Amino acid sequence: MAKQKKQKRKPGVCIPWEEKLKELPKISGDKELVRKVWEDIDALGYVYIWQCLLSF
Amino acid sequence: MANDMEQLYAQRLKRYVTAMRNEKPDMIPIRPFVAEFTAKYAGYTCQEVTHDFEKAFVAARKCAADFDWDAVVANMVYVWTGLTQAIGLKYYAAPGIDISPDVGFQYIEPPEDRAFMKPDEYDQLIEDPTGFLFNVWLPRVSTDVSAMGQPTSYRNNLSFLKGGMAMLSYFNGFGKQIELLRTQSGTVSAIAGILKAPFDIIADKLRGYLGLLTDLLERPAKVLAACEAMMPQLLHVALSGADPDKNVPIGFWMHRGCVPFVSMEHFNKFYWPTLKPIIEEIWSHGHQVLFYAEGNWNAHLKAFAELPEKSIVYHVDQADIFQVHKVLGHKFCISGGIPNFLLSYGTPQDVRDYCKKVIDGVARNGGYIMDAGAIMQNDTKVENVRAMTEFTREYGIY
Repeated sequence: MAKQKKQKRKPGVCIPWEEKLKELPKISGDKELVRKVWEDIDALGYVYIWQCLLSF
Repeated sequence: MANDMEQLYAQRLKRYVTAMRNEKPDMIPIRPFVAEFTAKYAGYTCQEVTHDFEKAFVAARKCAADFDWDAVVANMVYVWTGLTQAIGLKYYAAPGIDISPDVGFQYIEPPEDRAFMKPDEYDQLIEDPTGFLFNVWLPRVSTDVSAMGQPTSYRNNLSFLKGGMAMLSYFNGFGKQIELLRTQSGTVSAIAGILKAPFDIIADKLRGYLGLLTDLLERPAKVLAACEAMMPQLLHVALSGADPDKNVPIGFWMHRGCVPFVSMEHFNKFYWPTLKPIIEEIWSHGHQVLFYAEGNWNAHLKAFAELPEKSIVYHVDQADIFQVHKVLGHKFCISGGIPNFLLSYGTPQDVRDYCKKVIDGVARNGGYIMDAGAIMQNDTKVENVRAMTEFTREYGIY
């Protein structure tokens, strides 16, 4: 697909990890783990609104 | 018995996939899109299957067990009104609540002056489609969700909590349903994932059909930009629900983007350029798309013929299926074309005769799947569905 205009939020994202990271203290443990879990759950929020629009 | 069922499943999957790749399987696959028909057959009201998805699942499985079908949609009564009620969605008439318990759910498009998106809100949608949907659209379409800047409420919080948990519960239920269809009756789950055209979404859920028509005249650049903004989002949603095994297609529901709902110029400037790249990208990932062309889209067959070979399965509703075959049959599998009015009001012999006509006309070289033109509701006669099934099994062997 041709490159689209840059949007505020990428597909699949409600609150970007980069935005959430700014709110957190310095991560002393596994940062990748925190990022992955944040993004996996954030994607559920995305699914909710787009499925409301498309399927319901 | 488990082995027999697994063998039957494998046989049906191969038949269904072979036809979808526009090749010739052992016989014509049968893949009826049965919705409220399943309720009628299983002894439920429309209300029961619409408001309680477990009953809808049971009804679909009963049909799959009793009819020799290769594939079926796991639940074609797709709007679970238990969920829409929990969210507070305003735009459905639910059977047994707003309308008779024996009538299928109805989508209620608001009047033009109460469209869910205002004409001056295109820029918000374009800049941030997801944010727009959460912040502007959802509060408008829900009785419970608070608008931005308004005090929040107990009902607002519960709309999100219950809606989210109920949606997850429903979607998780499909996993078990698909497994049961396979193990109990050897039936394939016909589609996976969902797609709609950006243009159709603006008409269906945002500006309304009349609002969009006005926008095409008064702010065409905004309409185009909004369609383009939604493209990557819709691609993402489609791919995220697609079959990981790449056997069954993504369901693409086509509504009012065709002549005469819009002009040919509108189709060529707005609808098609913001849909075609999505289809091509989906195909580049190895997934087919089922073009469920509700109504009559024959004015646009030449456009669809631009798509890569085998990238779609083209479903025929009211259009001339023989013309479809002429223009698209060399590239794509075709399904459907058996008129719903015949299945509802004709005789079994009428149905057999029509199925023969379609099979003789479009299915001789494979690449055809037997189905009605549109989803079958509770006005469909059981004996006619049986006739369509049995005739196809007798006459549709290659």
